[in-house]
Amino acid sequence: MAVTDISQRERFFARGNVYLPHIIVIEKIIEETPGIRTFHFNFKDEKLREGFTFESGQFGEYSVFGIGEAPFCISSSPTRRDHLEFAVQRVGRVTNALHRLSVGAELGFRGPYGNSFPLDFLLGKNLVFVGGGIGLAPLRSLIWNVIDNRDKYKKIDIIYGARSPADLGFKYDLDAWGKDKTVNMVTTVDRGDETWTGRVGLVPKVLEKVAPSAREAVAIVCGPPIMIRFTFPVLEKLGFTPEQMLTTLEKRMKCGIGKCGRCNIGNVYVCRDGPVFTYAQIKNFVSSEY
Amino acid sequence: MAGKKIDKKDIAKLLSQWSQELAVYVPSIESGVATMAKWDGKDTSFLDWYRNTVIPTKASFFPSAEEMFRFQKDNKGYHIELPPSNERKQLIFGVRPCDARALAILDMTFKEAYEDPYYLPKRSSAVLVGLGCTNPYDSCFCTSLGISPAQSTDVDLMLTDIGDEFLIEEITDKGKELIAKATEVKKASKEEEASAKEVKEAAYQKVTRKIDTEGIGDRLLACFDDQDYWERIAAKCISCGICTLLCPTCYCFDINDELVRQQGTRFRSWDSCAFSLYTKMPMENPRAEKWRRVRQKVCHKFKFYPMNFGVIACTGCGRCIRLCPVNWDITQTLESVPVKV
Amino acid sequence: MEQRLRHEAKALLEQGKVDWIIGFEPGSLKFTTTPLITKDKNDADRLVINPFIVNNLANFLTEVKGRVGIVVKGCDSRSVVSLIQDNKVVREDVVILGVPCPGIIDLGKVERLVTKDRDELDDIIREGDKVVIRVDGEKKEFPTTQALFDNCLACEFPTPQEYNILLGEPKPAAPNLAQSRENIEKLEGISPGKRWDFWKNELSRCIRCYACRNVCPACFCQRCFVEETEPQWVLPVPRWQDNLIFQIVRNIHVAGRCTDCGECERACPVNIPLRSLTREMYDLVDELFHFKAGMDKDAPSLMTHYEEKEAEEFFR
Repeated sequence: MAVTDISQRERFFARGNVYLPHIIVIEKIIEETPGIRTFHFNFKDEKLREGFTFESGQFGEYSVFGIGEAPFCISSSPTRRDHLEFAVQRVGRVTNALHRLSVGAELGFRGPYGNSFPLDFLLGKNLVFVGGGIGLAPLRSLIWNVIDNRDKYKKIDIIYGARSPADLGFKYDLDAWGKDKTVNMVTTVDRGDETWTGRVGLVPKVLEKVAPSAREAVAIVCGPPIMIRFTFPVLEKLGFTPEQMLTTLEKRMKCGIGKCGRCNIGNVYVCRDGPVFTYAQIKNFVSSEY
Repeated sequence: MAGKKIDKKDIAKLLSQWSQELAVYVPSIESGVATMAKWDGKDTSFLDWYRNTVIPTKASFFPSAEEMFRFQKDNKGYHIELPPSNERKQLIFGVRPCDARALAILDMTFKEAYEDPYYLPKRSSAVLVGLGCTNPYDSCFCTSLGISPAQSTDVDLMLTDIGDEFLIEEITDKGKELIAKATEVKKASKEEEASAKEVKEAAYQKVTRKIDTEGIGDRLLACFDDQDYWERIAAKCISCGICTLLCPTCYCFDINDELVRQQGTRFRSWDSCAFSLYTKMPMENPRAEKWRRVRQKVCHKFKFYPMNFGVIACTGCGRCIRLCPVNWDITQTLESVPVKV
Repeated sequence: MEQRLRHEAKALLEQGKVDWIIGFEPGSLKFTTTPLITKDKNDADRLVINPFIVNNLANFLTEVKGRVGIVVKGCDSRSVVSLIQDNKVVREDVVILGVPCPGIIDLGKVERLVTKDRDELDDIIREGDKVVIRVDGEKKEFPTTQALFDNCLACEFPTPQEYNILLGEPKPAAPNLAQSRENIEKLEGISPGKRWDFWKNELSRCIRCYACRNVCPACFCQRCFVEETEPQWVLPVPRWQDNLIFQIVRNIHVAGRCTDCGECERACPVNIPLRSLTREMYDLVDELFHFKAGMDKDAPSLMTHYEEKEAEEFFR
């Protein structure tokens, strides 16, 4: 059976062959840092372009045909749909191949997979976003989602840091949020350089100084595992309960749909039951290896 | 339900009949390795030597390497197409109850949420003719997992060896249909049915290796963080993939692309949680240490899978014990798990 | 030998001369042994020496940390020396408990001789130059040459040359190279085209379990070339083409360090005749470089060393 262009399928979720990617086209490439690029893309097929929906926190499996497939969260907000985005840090075979692509290149896309940030849980609350490095990618989808529905949420604190000023990505976001008077934007770096005049300090330490209130608040933490592990205790000290702490977990993934077996933590598959989890859920994992 | 029977000498005729519409697979041996292979049209000597295959039955529906799709690039962009599929429906003759149950366990994963489009069509169109064991290995422990070596409801027809004949039980409508027009199939007498019952009992008793699965999942969780225990258990494991790749209930797979100029193929192939790089990410590997991988394998089968699907992902076929190069024995491990006080 | 071994192993642990003892204990299946890796001196009583101690325990030396008392046969002891030559093991960290080996019984051959499976046999005993198999109440005798592993038939060094304690009387070598190389000679006697078809057929059965690689003491790379993704030398998919490349390259990688212990072929669950490749490489290395792996702990390893007087016929 030859299906020359898969995007002619009616539904792009479970119907048909879930392993066949849709064709997407790169429309814009932003070099966030020397190792991180953001890709703006759209589906080649018009029907998909219009009809595709997703929620903040979900990810896709992106194929460089002939090289491989890798999971990346969809980093654009569902409220801004003229295009879609994902961010890639160059670390291996597929990511290197992605970084070699130019505008107009075609990729494969499967998704959206995984669960999403629980917007109804965030409604009417004070939101504390804590991000490190490329961890801003999943966060920014949610942050713009929230800002585009600003009156549904209360205070917004964003604490974001990177190793050095050169490693600060998404500067256009940081600028926009810095200018937004309804947002408290705190940017930090682990170490400064000759021109850096901003804050210097590790994200968890800066969080401790900013000390957002835990009352009617939810913290959403995304970043390298080590940053998350040091951030949770700080949040606990500030009075956040484990149910008030959200994060996204990362594991090596292949199928993205809970079949190939490798992304599990105990009986939980990060691709299917995550990647968004509360710290309460994480503490309740039967396996301590996360 | 009146039992049926067939003379062993007539099996070839029956297989021939089935071969007209189905691709018939029977136990075959090549270089000393027993697998299910396409029947050559005449040889039924497997009736003499067959105990169980090395390659489990999952390979008929979830092969060790499988093309997922092919892609091609031209000036209009990428085109994807599914690989040609001209396979007839399969009939697998001689499936042991442990392997048949394993398929039912695998079904749960491949059916759940997103239905697997490669495994399920082959699986649902296939016919399984079960054959009860008369000579279980000393490594078999199916009876500890609620499976009888000579009885199965996970097949379409169930055959029991009663000497010169097989007693045939029709388990499903598909099975009934299979022998509806078979002239060699006769009615079995009450004595023959009773004899089959005895054969089944005898086979059950022959399975001497036993484990206690009572609360095994919770007992494993109780010692989950005991690194010393798991390091001792894992010490001699060499992290190859034999136990998992040849396990009839294991389903981990890898996805890889091959590119030859402007076209290529995406493959699915067997993978193993025992391999050291199985969970490796760019910055960290949560199971870099061998003891974590061994713990994962045991706990996945006896706790995590039951948590999600209600069944232990093991059917006691014993391949892992028989074929492990260092004789790492899961039954010894399970027996050593401390009993909660 | 067994009593002496248990005594020595216990003493080594008690006196703190080693952190680990690695030896053999009875396995969970008939006529099987399994590696015993322990820090506990009481476990020393479980150590055994019998005709079924197949594993090459040197394999564990690149994984276990600390000082090790290790039980090795002739071939295995050369693997230890080969690891010392590779600078993977420090001689002072190993106490070599050498077992002069009369040959290990190949259960596969035994099963074929009596057309019964291992678990259907009552007993297998070695009596001098005969192997006695008791099955179904009957006794069947075979010359050991029909029941030992092929590589044991070719063994030139049954007694460990490098050791701390020799657990028994040295055994004389009686290598029958012709019999051990029978399969290789058969392959060399057929046309290259037929040989290609042979290997294509054999390697189609390979499932890439990597048991051959993981039982091998010479394979100790943290990241094997098959696991490399940049570049991807070989697809991790069990197609005969990729399987063939895997075997060829692995053979080249272990050339000069393989001691023909035969574990790769024995471990293969689908009976691929791997020794036809490894032994051929072993003999080629001997022929071209007059070198046998693991003979001299102070000598450099073959492939990392170049001498000007080496033959250079291959580039002219």
